[in-house]
Amino acid sequence: MDKTISLYIDGKKISVKSGLNLLQAAKENSIDIPHLCYHKKLSPTGACRLCIVKIKGQKGLIASCTVRAEDGMEVTAFDEELEEARKYLLDYLLSEHDESRDATYRDEFRELVLRYGLGEKKNRKFAPIWKHIGYPKDNSSPVLTYDAAKCIKCFRCIKACDEVQGKNVLSFTKRGIASYITGGFEKWSESECDGCGECIQLCPTGAIVEKPHRGEINFEKEHKKVRTTCPYCGVGCQLELIVQDGRIVRANGAEGVSPNDGRLCVKGRFGCDYVNHPERLKVPLIKKGGRFVEAGWDEALDLVADKFNETIKKHGKKALAGYASAKTTNEDNYLFMKFIRTVFGNNNVDYCTRLCHASTVTAMLRSLGDGAGSNSIEDYENSDCILVTGNNMTETHPVTATFVKHAAQRKGARIIIIDPKWTPLVKESHIWLQPGLGTDVALLNGMIRVIIEEDLIDRRFIKKRVKGGMQALDELRALTAKYTPEYVEKVCGVPADLMQKAARIYAGARRPLIATGMGYSQQLTGTHNVFCLINMMLISGQIGRKGAGINPPRGQNNVQGVSDVGASPFTYPGYVPVGDDENRRKIAGIWGVPYEELDPEKGLSTIEIMQAAYRGEIRAMYIMGENPMLTDPNLNHTEEAIKKLDFLVVQDIFHTETTALADVVLPATSFAESEGTFVNSDRRVLRVRRAVDPPGQARQDWEIIAEIAEKMGRPLGKYRSESEIWDEIARTSPIFAGISYDRLEEKGIQWPCTSSEHPGTSTLFEEKFNTPDGLGRLHPVDYAEQSEKSGSEYPYILNTGRILYQYHSSTMSRRNSSLNQFANEAYVLVHPEDAKKQGLSDKMKVDISSRRGTVRSVAVKISTDVLEGELFMPFHYAEAPVNRLTRDELDPYSKIAPFKLSAVRLEAAK
Amino acid sequence: MSIQKIIRQFEPEQHNLLNILHALQNSSSGNYLSKEAMEETARYLGLTKASVYGVATYYTMFSLKPRGRFIIRICVSPVCELMKVDIIIKQIESILDIKVGETSSDRLFTLELSECLGQCQKAPSMMVNDRVYKCLGKDSIKEIIEKYRQKAKLN
Repeated sequence: MDKTISLYIDGKKISVKSGLNLLQAAKENSIDIPHLCYHKKLSPTGACRLCIVKIKGQKGLIASCTVRAEDGMEVTAFDEELEEARKYLLDYLLSEHDESRDATYRDEFRELVLRYGLGEKKNRKFAPIWKHIGYPKDNSSPVLTYDAAKCIKCFRCIKACDEVQGKNVLSFTKRGIASYITGGFEKWSESECDGCGECIQLCPTGAIVEKPHRGEINFEKEHKKVRTTCPYCGVGCQLELIVQDGRIVRANGAEGVSPNDGRLCVKGRFGCDYVNHPERLKVPLIKKGGRFVEAGWDEALDLVADKFNETIKKHGKKALAGYASAKTTNEDNYLFMKFIRTVFGNNNVDYCTRLCHASTVTAMLRSLGDGAGSNSIEDYENSDCILVTGNNMTETHPVTATFVKHAAQRKGARIIIIDPKWTPLVKESHIWLQPGLGTDVALLNGMIRVIIEEDLIDRRFIKKRVKGGMQALDELRALTAKYTPEYVEKVCGVPADLMQKAARIYAGARRPLIATGMGYSQQLTGTHNVFCLINMMLISGQIGRKGAGINPPRGQNNVQGVSDVGASPFTYPGYVPVGDDENRRKIAGIWGVPYEELDPEKGLSTIEIMQAAYRGEIRAMYIMGENPMLTDPNLNHTEEAIKKLDFLVVQDIFHTETTALADVVLPATSFAESEGTFVNSDRRVLRVRRAVDPPGQARQDWEIIAEIAEKMGRPLGKYRSESEIWDEIARTSPIFAGISYDRLEEKGIQWPCTSSEHPGTSTLFEEKFNTPDGLGRLHPVDYAEQSEKSGSEYPYILNTGRILYQYHSSTMSRRNSSLNQFANEAYVLVHPEDAKKQGLSDKMKVDISSRRGTVRSVAVKISTDVLEGELFMPFHYAEAPVNRLTRDELDPYSKIAPFKLSAVRLEAAK
Repeated sequence: MSIQKIIRQFEPEQHNLLNILHALQNSSSGNYLSKEAMEETARYLGLTKASVYGVATYYTMFSLKPRGRFIIRICVSPVCELMKVDIIIKQIESILDIKVGETSSDRLFTLELSECLGQCQKAPSMMVNDRVYKCLGKDSIKEIIEKYRQKAKLN
């Protein structure tokens, strides 16, 4: 496959893997052939002509980026003629170019100008003409400026946008010497640009530069670069933070590392300003007489320790609970979990996963034995069919979406989308099925029926890999018999022929990958939805190889890791059930605590903890980096529950709706001030590194947890560094056993990684599933009507979700002016027909009510993105807390709440 | 015909972009492509605005500014230059009281320059809309312009 070839450049023999272009081959051997338009992420352009070489047996000067390196090639890269030609080209280019610059970017053009002795004007042949051309400047974008006079028309930005990000927002306008780059109709802010900034990162001359921090960056002064992991979604993009004077002044994507290879989205690139926001919590706060008073660490932690101890004494061990955090590191969460289990002495520890992919994980664990994504993020490019269910990945996991777009745009993969609401990925899709909210089980059973009826099943796979084999298939066949295309069309509103076509494409594909999101998981039937997906996947044999499987992209940076390290009421590190005696014995040994003290009973899950607090059974809580007062369903109920607590400690980086109700607030570090690891959506353990000092007295979460334990008289152990905590995690969880910090220095490792020689696992289930017998399981389930329906009083069904520019409860994202300039107002999407019926117009304010509560004064956006009778609202905005409308009824298997379906009514705002 | 209707005469395939732009420009009263026309085209073909704009601004036959009913395109390639096309240009400018690139006040004529029209043997030459005129001289120019003025009066 990877054949090595040898060639000669200026007489020097070099060896490279075959398939590279000649310029890249030279670069990889430190032969520095000048070039400007070439970038290794982009297809060669051959526009700048600087990489010209002579090749023996070929005529003329050849742009080395445009020819393939061949075995035995004899190349001249540097001689007098070539160097003269390069100098001439640079000189010519200079005449069209505004040389003024600041030290805020790397100017590759200037570097070459200096290298060829053209720095001094007397050495140049051509007089400057750029001023006469009248190049424009576009300053309209919230995040960047384009200056045509600094542009050398190398195509890198256009290709960055098109080939790397799959957006193709940029183009040339005009012709010849007068041509330049345009976004939209020469107004970037009115183009489709979403601000990812890939063009900035790849621009070689500073023609496209970002707006934030322009006054602060100066590469001529001291600065440092810190590789770390993005704090936003679960893609785990590798960032290169530029730090100057103790502040983050720029975030670039780290080139050449998985999973993002330099790509970022607008949040990753322009979303780090919150770190330095003046509202950061800097000192511990104690509530006295209804208001917060600053306190020293000792005073605050003494109080916390006393109150927790007092609660244990008065109400017993079971009266305490904690929320871990998908925002903080594995090390923080591991110690938090250890704290709950050994200091509180129960298993009441959970976190936002319960509100997120709990149903997906439950279904996957029961059917496949692992709840994590089976394939790598970059594996989407190897798929020929991508089934996207309830997953607006272009907005929620923008960098993952770039791989999906690549597969569709460049490799002809067919994308099938199942979503009641339009998402940007629909533009790339082959088929879009739009079932009514909550009817997915019927739709999937219909697809399964098609696959069985038309004999598109994979018999060998079923017999070899599925428990019960063909008999299990018969049960599924019997159950799905009634889901005829006509019946499914009636229930879901999806045209029968489209549904059949989708089923055929999926089952017939060679390597189909399922990307399932919140639309499927956040339902009362969340687990059933995913059971159906897995049933379909197993009978068509579409898992267990490169490009085929099921991936549920994780919403937060470390949702995956927190579960992995055991912050769960049901499982210990590495997904060992709490009831497993042998494991508890092993862990007790590692922790140095008596085995009997480790509670064998399952703890309460996220919403159950709130419900128990409401009933007065949970009396004290420790919340780390979560904001249930915005993100829990049925908020009015949550608020009452939290208010009933005797004592609440919240550890966070900002005041939130939840800290407002706390008795003690502890200031923690942000990702940029922390050392540790996150695990991303494809099970990759990635390093998080400290780039700046914490503000004020803020401390890293694990240190705070450890000190509280110490003060409560139940120390967690002596840890000198995060790396020592990780080593303990590796000892407790077999999936991490082979991972240590030294191995993570350059790149992440995907679990399971069972020994220090193990390379990690990119694709799960290649040989067997992770169930006790190694077989996958079918779970035939019937469609059931939703308990909450629209009716005369509440005529609409409300769907909720995320948008690109904000993030979760927006504690972080809304503290970035760049992001706010793109989107800073709550809205509700209403179908034009419904708007007509109710006499609503765009931007009009409405009150939205459900049986649980009311959200006031939300702006209407009339849009065909939603179906008639359905509405959509983002959940990011505290002034429009959509979770006052949602239910805390739970999916019986996974305890997830149905955020995606609430019956509501609309009225003009009062 | 509305913009929508004109666009929908074509299949929503990207290779129809130029045909759609021509159809839109030809049917617009100002002989040009409006922002709305380009936006609708982009939406219909699933292209970004800049992709359409890049094409529309690359080809000199498209205009983004309203133009006259008759577009005069004068060839300024070397042979026509040798045959003193500059005098012809000045003459037209003076008859119509406009400069190159402008539209006459009665909105009948727009004067543009063109690359070679392939009529070198009978230079200097020009086009008015789809018709080519060769061997241009002082008198013929007057006649041609007058002919179009009359034509405009008739309809």
